[in-house]
Amino acid sequence: MALDMAKYRRIFLEEGLDHLGEISHALFDLEKEMASSEAIDTLFRMAHSLKSMAASLGYDTIAELAHRMEDRMEGIRAGGRVRGHQELALLFRSLEMLEAMLAAVGNEQAVPSADEDLLRCLAEDPPSERASEDDVPNRVGGEPKKA
Amino acid sequence: MARVLIVDDASFMRQMIREIIEPEGHEVVGEATNGIEAVDLYKELMPDLVTMDIVMPKRSGIDAVKMILTDHPTACIVMCSALGQETLVMEAFSAGARDFIVKPFKPDSVVSTLAKVIEKTSD
Repeated sequence: MALDMAKYRRIFLEEGLDHLGEISHALFDLEKEMASSEAIDTLFRMAHSLKSMAASLGYDTIAELAHRMEDRMEGIRAGGRVRGHQELALLFRSLEMLEAMLAAVGNEQAVPSADEDLLRCLAEDPPSERASEDDVPNRVGGEPKKA
Repeated sequence: MARVLIVDDASFMRQMIREIIEPEGHEVVGEATNGIEAVDLYKELMPDLVTMDIVMPKRSGIDAVKMILTDHPTACIVMCSALGQETLVMEAFSAGARDFIVKPFKPDSVVSTLAKVIEKTSD
């Protein structure tokens, strides 16, 4: 059975861009409150969904990065909070990479690989930095994108 | 052939399952985007079979399976899982789910799994 993959590529772009918007909003929420369970759940679900969609279309580099991000979010969910600004910055880097990857899909260009350093950092144990009430948000992006 | 309720928060996945199973003669009677809708639509539509995603907003697929099977012990539910979700699939089986299909979907595998589950259910 052959599926109309051009149709699913279009749906992936639409739904994927929505997901990136939700990830962006969730990250900005986490900047304000690193224990926001709603934002943590959203990030986990969006990464999980991107992974499945990308894998269905053979976009292996997107699926790999989303999978690493999902695994990272699973650890954060288990711990109940983002473990400091380094970890938050890492998630913002992941978002930027996913944006570049989806842009390539939209432009019908070769999808870039995630840089090895990003994948390695996502897989590593979180930094020992601990968030505290005194933490000053270290914003690394602009305003959240519209979902 | 079966009346099927598709449950997944991703439109991409719902459309893909629909496109795979409709040519086999199955009728998609409804689509739900989260576990709460799934439970409500199950009661309303009483489908022969449900394909149930696991990771969804508002109520997870695992919780939806438990709620549906509490009220409808003979409900026929097939989980849609991704790699790495083996523990959750086992939890769904413990709750009474019949089988599972793995994302990314392989059309032939989806068709054969649903056919097997439907055949067992009609025995």
